[in-house]
Amino acid sequence: MIRMVALRLALMLPILLGVSIIAFVLMRALPGDFAQASAGTSTISAEALDTIRRSLGLDLPVWQQYLRWLLAALGGDLGTSFTLRKPVLGELLPRLAVTGELTLIAGLMAMLLGVATGLASARLRGAVDWAVRAWNSLLLAVPNFVIATLIVLLFGLYFPSVGIFNYVPFAADPLANVASLLLPALSLALTVSVTISENTRAAVLEVASQDYVMVAKAKGLRARSILANYLVRNALTPVITVTGLQLAALLGGSILIETIFTIPGMGQFLFDSIASRDYPSIQGIVLLAATIVLLMNVIVDIAYARVDARVRYD
Amino acid sequence: MTAPLLEVRNLTAHFARDAAARRVVDGISFHIDPGEAVGFVGESGSGKSVTARAIMRLAPEGSPVRWGGTVRFRGEELLTLDAAAMGDIRGRHIAMVFQDPMSSLNPVMSVGAQIDDILMRHTGLSRRAARRRTIELLDLVGIREPAQRADDHPHQFSGGMRQRVLIAIAVSCQPALLIADEPTTALDVTVQAQILRLLMRLRRELGMALMLITHDFGVIAGMVERVYVMNGGAIVETGPTDALFAAPQHEYTRALLAAVPRIEPGG
Repeated sequence: MIRMVALRLALMLPILLGVSIIAFVLMRALPGDFAQASAGTSTISAEALDTIRRSLGLDLPVWQQYLRWLLAALGGDLGTSFTLRKPVLGELLPRLAVTGELTLIAGLMAMLLGVATGLASARLRGAVDWAVRAWNSLLLAVPNFVIATLIVLLFGLYFPSVGIFNYVPFAADPLANVASLLLPALSLALTVSVTISENTRAAVLEVASQDYVMVAKAKGLRARSILANYLVRNALTPVITVTGLQLAALLGGSILIETIFTIPGMGQFLFDSIASRDYPSIQGIVLLAATIVLLMNVIVDIAYARVDARVRYD
Repeated sequence: MTAPLLEVRNLTAHFARDAAARRVVDGISFHIDPGEAVGFVGESGSGKSVTARAIMRLAPEGSPVRWGGTVRFRGEELLTLDAAAMGDIRGRHIAMVFQDPMSSLNPVMSVGAQIDDILMRHTGLSRRAARRRTIELLDLVGIREPAQRADDHPHQFSGGMRQRVLIAIAVSCQPALLIADEPTTALDVTVQAQILRLLMRLRRELGMALMLITHDFGVIAGMVERVYVMNGGAIVETGPTDALFAAPQHEYTRALLAAVPRIEPGG
């Protein structure tokens, strides 16, 4: 088990290296650069642009820029943000905390809703099954930014007393902070809950027809005990996978949701950084998001072994 | 003449989802006396498993079965019993061993926990007391080092050993009737005899009645006192085992008997 984790962590390094190269090259392939973006619509002389580029090292060939960045990154220095003029790492962590909190709340909501509707759908069948599946199809078809927009409209028009855009920092007021994240988290959670719900439903249906469930009934066990120990525990494995991967994707920051609700997290940071061609910041965000996805994969594998004794890593 | 332990009259079963409502069991009647061993023989699809499940009121998930007739256990009608009372009978008074031991144990629970839970359900033992009894039961069915093996999971056991665990589950609450539905079909030939001997020994020691279901007359021989031969959802012949072997009356029984490969004893 420990060897597996160590091996998986070691394997992350080449993957992250690849991700960093792709992100680096792709960003520089975009039209325009920081010098032009910062000039905005005002016209600046070519010399002035060159001066900015030279001062940031943007005049060097791309591979030289990458090597400089890589050497610094290996030493723990992700560079300095062009726009904020501060070290990228110091800017990333507080934003990651905000996005992390948002993801945590959204993840809890999605799991509660997804597992509950999936279970109800698989066990009750009939009209409940039909309603849940119709609801899931609807949510799957509607992107989360539409849901977010509808929430903004609903509360903005009919319940203006509920502040929608008043993000409160955790340090200022923890309770108000959590409250201010509930609606954005809901708009993320609804979409994620569909995947969890459909996977729970399929897994429970599959498990319910297994011989050991028949044996459990023949033992005279109570329905509650069969549900918890036989159905849910066996159906959990695929559900853990999809939940873990969905949460990992959310941790990279949802650009649209954070922008709509003006939450100072990773998504908004990425959006601003791309708009201003702030290469070091983009590079840092991409690297951090990739690390989180990879770590989440390892955590999902560890969770398997906890749920199912057949899974051994040695 | 004692009152029968189980008395089935005019039992019918058909799958409720089936548009044609085909009867898989077509009005059969039989009885099992206390402590008696009775065999049900027939080919696949003859309705013998559905009959067994009707007694336990077990239907496969997603294909509900409708039953008709009467199933009286110690004089009590089971087919109309409410679900809670039926749950008190399953596993406690009537227990069942199934065909495929490879898929009949919950893969994510230790085998010990799967015996603990039925004990705790029916006997009111504490978790710790249940575990002590579980270890005795594993020992009873011939599992070595039962205290250590109780914590192992099903995938760490062979097919024969898993069937022993399932038998331990079935006899854990000393039921009055044990239904064994093709208990050896999925096992190696060498293991089959061991499992049959184990069932015989437990039946004697615990004084249980045994309903042994099989497609193989070879399994029945020496195991049961009476036999019911089933074909097409009906009982076509019945009688004491010896008489049936010596002089089968029905054509179908003769065909089934002819299908058994003979191994001469001592040969």
